[in-house]
Amino acid sequence: MTANILDGIVLGLQFGLLAAGLTLIYGLGGVLNLAHGQIAVTSAMTVAFAIDAGVPVVLAVGLGLLAGGFFGLLLDLTILRPVYRLRGEARVLLSLLLTLGVSFIVDGYLNWRYPLKTLNIYIGGGAIDILGVPMRRGSLVASAITLLTITGLFVFFRSTSLGRAIRSVIEDEAGARLIGIDPKQMLRLILVLSGVLAALVAVTRSMVAPVDTQSGLSITVFALIVTVVGGLGNVIGALLAGIILGIVNVVAADLIGSYISLILLLVAAAVTILIRPAGLLGVKE
Amino acid sequence: MLEVNGLSAGYQGNDVVHDVAFRVAQGEAVMIIGSNGAGKTTLFQALCGLLPPSSGEVIFEGSDITGIPAERIARLGMRFVSAARHLFPRMTVEEHLLLGAYPHKPDPKTMSIVLDLFPRLAERRRQHAGTMSGGEQQMLAVGRALMSKPRLLVLDEPSTGLAPLLAKAAYEALDVLREQGLTVLVTEQQVPLAMAFSDRGYVLENGFIRLEGTTEQLAANPAVRSAYLGVT
Repeated sequence: MTANILDGIVLGLQFGLLAAGLTLIYGLGGVLNLAHGQIAVTSAMTVAFAIDAGVPVVLAVGLGLLAGGFFGLLLDLTILRPVYRLRGEARVLLSLLLTLGVSFIVDGYLNWRYPLKTLNIYIGGGAIDILGVPMRRGSLVASAITLLTITGLFVFFRSTSLGRAIRSVIEDEAGARLIGIDPKQMLRLILVLSGVLAALVAVTRSMVAPVDTQSGLSITVFALIVTVVGGLGNVIGALLAGIILGIVNVVAADLIGSYISLILLLVAAAVTILIRPAGLLGVKE
Repeated sequence: MLEVNGLSAGYQGNDVVHDVAFRVAQGEAVMIIGSNGAGKTTLFQALCGLLPPSSGEVIFEGSDITGIPAERIARLGMRFVSAARHLFPRMTVEEHLLLGAYPHKPDPKTMSIVLDLFPRLAERRRQHAGTMSGGEQQMLAVGRALMSKPRLLVLDEPSTGLAPLLAKAAYEALDVLREQGLTVLVTEQQVPLAMAFSDRGYVLENGFIRLEGTTEQLAANPAVRSAYLGVT
């Protein structure tokens, strides 16, 4: 059981990072990015091909992160332009439709050209005991990177002026503009950052289990569930929801079977929304 | 310093303010008074860049800033404090003040000037803006604007939502800033407060400037006295 919970926490932190990207984009720009999982997969494939081409793993991972950031930037510069002209509900809906379109195109292309390609970064060495449970080294490296990234995000948002500027746009866009902060610039930055985070999650996932070209949709769905449960626009909520749902997912898969775990996740999400409509840490508007 | 000519602005093609012209010279305190619904807030929104004007021109320190978005105007040395305050509810007092200087490094000297002016903010450094009283929020909104060392401060109804004593205190703080050489433009419906503070003023009615003059002239005008000062 302890092993399951530890696994669940690792998975949950990764969910949390994915959801943090989605929730930030929504909070800043009222945009839902349904191509989030495809950014992760595209980055993973970039890493896989770079490794095939003989690029050292660390460098290949760097290329993958760049690819993720670039994908985010590309969304901002192209498909999201018409979205930015709209306000409110229409804006969310159009962003949802257009990014869903992007996800279909990316999925279709990857599955057609590289149906069997997977990224699987193998971290050698024996298992290490954590709380009396032998944990695979890959899983530990993945958690260490994830935790480090989360810490870095907190430092960025709490203690740098750019991080504070981004938060101020989420809090009150007009207020931010009145003190000289350009919301469009901040949103572009967050799209790049969320792309890098998605790439990072794909890379750390691949240290535990292979990431294939078909994983995009399920990554997006997981991220979306976690985002909604955590409260749209709330990063800490996303991380918390990620951990809870990660544990639910792993424990359910072990006790009942993995076919049921996605259903249980959805039930957990639905129950949260029924009890707290704005999400775990969401604020009522 | 600020010159506005023929400015019209409104929502969805319906102008609320029409052909407004006024100016603010360096070192002056100027008021735009008017009753509720006269168009003060619309005029303010058009000036600060949150609402693109439908016609006219706004000239600040010699350059035409008509229709420029708010985030760019804010960086030119003119800062706006909205009646809605637009604070960041889940950010601390200190974070607001640090952000006020964005994108520049906050100047410790300016910070201590602001905290001297509003000692309440110093006491509440770590408190979230959303949990503060109306008076404290007003102080924070002004303090945040001051952190950028503006040359012109524009305030939209600084007395909004404040008890009479707090409203008076808000204007006392503005007096201090004036003595330090800051140029101030203020819109206000609590006319006596604004009159005690300003050198000159304009009267806005139904979206048009009806009267202008020094504070003394306006205070002596029978129409102003009966409509805004409660003297019959």
